[in-house]
Amino acid sequence: MLKTLLDAFALISTWEVIVAMFAASVYGLVIGSLPGLSATMATALLVPVTFYLSPIAAIATIVAASSMAIFSGDIPGALLRIPGTPASAAYADEAYAMTRKGQAELALGAGVWFSAVGGIAGVLSLMILAPPLAEIALSFSTFEYFWLALLGLMCATLVARSSPVKAIAGMFIGLLVSCVGIENPGGVPRFTFGLTDLFGGIEPIPALVGVFAVAQVMRAMLTPEPPPLPRRKFGSIMAGQWKLTKMYHWQMTRGNIVGIIIGVLPGAGADMAAWVSYAMSKRFSKEPEKFGTGHVEGLVEAGASNNASIASGWVPSLLFGIPGDTIAAIAIGVLYMKGLNPGPTLFTEKASSMYAIYLMFIIANILMIPLGIAMIRIAAYILLAPRSAIMPIIMLCCAVGSFAIGNNMFGVVTVAAFGVIGYVMEANGYPVAAMVLGIVMGTMVEQAFVTSLIKSDGSILPFFERPVAAILAAMAIGALLWPVMVWVWRKVKPPQAAAATSR
Amino acid sequence: MRLPDSVTGSFLVVLGAAAAYGGWLLPPVPGQPVGPNVFPLVIGTGLALCGLAIVFGIGHSFEEEEELIPLEDGQAAAPPPQGKLYGLRALLPPALLLFYVLAADRLGFIITAAIMVYVTSTALGAKWKLALPLAALSPFAIHLIFGKLLRVPLPAGLLPTPW
Repeated sequence: MLKTLLDAFALISTWEVIVAMFAASVYGLVIGSLPGLSATMATALLVPVTFYLSPIAAIATIVAASSMAIFSGDIPGALLRIPGTPASAAYADEAYAMTRKGQAELALGAGVWFSAVGGIAGVLSLMILAPPLAEIALSFSTFEYFWLALLGLMCATLVARSSPVKAIAGMFIGLLVSCVGIENPGGVPRFTFGLTDLFGGIEPIPALVGVFAVAQVMRAMLTPEPPPLPRRKFGSIMAGQWKLTKMYHWQMTRGNIVGIIIGVLPGAGADMAAWVSYAMSKRFSKEPEKFGTGHVEGLVEAGASNNASIASGWVPSLLFGIPGDTIAAIAIGVLYMKGLNPGPTLFTEKASSMYAIYLMFIIANILMIPLGIAMIRIAAYILLAPRSAIMPIIMLCCAVGSFAIGNNMFGVVTVAAFGVIGYVMEANGYPVAAMVLGIVMGTMVEQAFVTSLIKSDGSILPFFERPVAAILAAMAIGALLWPVMVWVWRKVKPPQAAAATSR
Repeated sequence: MRLPDSVTGSFLVVLGAAAAYGGWLLPPVPGQPVGPNVFPLVIGTGLALCGLAIVFGIGHSFEEEEELIPLEDGQAAAPPPQGKLYGLRALLPPALLLFYVLAADRLGFIITAAIMVYVTSTALGAKWKLALPLAALSPFAIHLIFGKLLRVPLPAGLLPTPW
C-alpha cells in the first residue's frame, strides 16, 4: 500500500505531468468561463493533445481541465447571469442576484471553495468505492456485464430531462453508430456501404468532438452574442467562506453525497447533479423563501454537488468501462488508447496508476483555489474576447484535432457529420448524451450480448440464472418500465402528480 | 431546425427498419445461431418502435422546457433577423469542415485555415479589422502547437510554414 502510494507519487512528480496539469488547469478555467463552451467540449478538444503525452500526463490534463471548467462556469453565471457551462445553469440566477446585492465576492468565493471541497469528496468516494466494487466485479461473467451495460444505458435515458422515448431513441442511434465496421462477431463489413474508411468503424472521439464542439459553433451562428462583462473591483474572495462552511456543513455534505451518487449513475453528470442539489436545497431549507433573492445556501449545496460528480463519474468508467458522464466517456477513450483498459483488474495490476489518478484529482482540486481566485480577478478581461474570435479557433481545433486522431481526413468528415447530427437532435429534444453513451458502449454491449447468447445456446434463461445477473436484470427492466409506470400514475391522478413534479 | 415530432419519428422508423433489414441480410457465422446480424436486428427494431411511439406523441408530456443555456433572457430586445436563409447559417461550420477536407491537401493548411477562420469570424459578426488579423495569425499559432510541438503531419500545400 505504502509502496504503491510512493510509486504513484513518483509517477506524477515529473515535469511533464506538472506542466501538463498546470496548462490544462488554465485551459479548463478559460474554456469553462466562456459562455457556450462546456466542460465536455473542453475535454473533447483536449483529446488530440493527449495522444502525444505519457499516459499519466494525459489523464492529468483531463482531470485538471474538467474539474476547473466545471467551477469556472460559475464566473459568468454570477457576473452576467449566463452560465459558462450547463452545470452552472441551475444556480446562475441565484448567484447573479447575489452580485446585484453587492455580494459577488461571496458568491464566487462559495463557488471556488465548495467546488474544491466537493471535488475532494468525490475523489474520496472514488478511493473508497472502487476497490471493493472491483472485488465483486472480478466474478462477473458476460451475463452480468450485459445487464450492467443495459442498466447503464437505461439510467442515461431515465435522468435525461427530456422525453424518455426520445432518450431511448437517442441511445439506439448511438448503438447503431457503433455497429458500423468490421469489428463484430462475424468479422464481416457491416453498414460500411463499400467505403473502406468505414471498415474501422466510427471512432467515438471525433463523434464526441462533433456533437459537443461543432454543434455548439452551429448554435452560435443563430444565437445573439452575450453582452460584455462590466469590469469591477473585487474585495477578498475567500473571506467568510469558513463561516459558510460551518453554517451550511449539512447542506454541503448532502450536496457532496448527491453529487457522488449522480456522478456514479451512467449518463448523468455535473449539470444533473447541480439541478437536483439546488432543488433539494430549496426543498429542505429552513428559509426557502429566500431562494432566488440572492441566498447563498443553494449555491453551497449545488456547487459542492457538481464538482463531486466529476470524480465519482470515474468509478463506473474505471471499473466497467461504463462512463458515469460525458466527460468520463471521453476519458475512457483516452484510457484505452493509453493501455489502461478499464476493468476490475486495473486496480490490482496498475494500482500505482490508480493512486496517481486519485492524487491528481486531489491536487487539481487544491490547485483550483489559488487559480480560481486569480481567474475570478481577470475574468473581466478574458470575457472581453468576442465570440467571433473564439469560435473560429474552436473550428480550427476541431479540424486539426480530428485529423490528428487517425492522421486521416475521414476524421474531419466524421466531426462535420456528427456536428449536424448533434445539432438536429438537440434542437428536436433528443438528448445527445444518451447517443454518446450508446456510441461509447455499443461494442461492449454487443460483445456481452452475443457472447452470452452463444454461451446460452440461444436460450434466454441463463441471463437470469446467476444471482447477481438476476438482480441487475431486475433493475434494468425496472428502469425500462419506470417511465411507463410514471405515465400511468399521471393518468390516474393528474392534479396531484402535476403539483408534485413541478420544481 | 425544430421539426415536428411526426417527422423525426417517421425518420427513425425508416432508419430502424433499414438497420434491421440490413442486419438481416448479413451472412451468419457458419455453425452458430447468433452472429453479426443479431445486434442490428434488435437495435433496428427498437429504434423503429421508438419512432412509432414518438409519432404517436407518447412520452411528449415528459418533455421539459428547453433548459440548455438560457441565453435569451434580458437581451431578447434585439431579435435576430429572420429570413428564409437565416436558418441555413447553422450549416456553415460543417460546410467549412468539408471544405477543409477537400482543399487542405491542395492549398495547404495555412491558407485553408485562414479562409475557415475568416468566414466563421465574419459570419459571427466580426468586422474585417478583427477577422483579418485573426485569419492571418491563428493558423500559424495552431500550426505551431499541432504541427511543430505535437508533430501532426499537416499538409504544407502552396504556402509552407517557415519552420
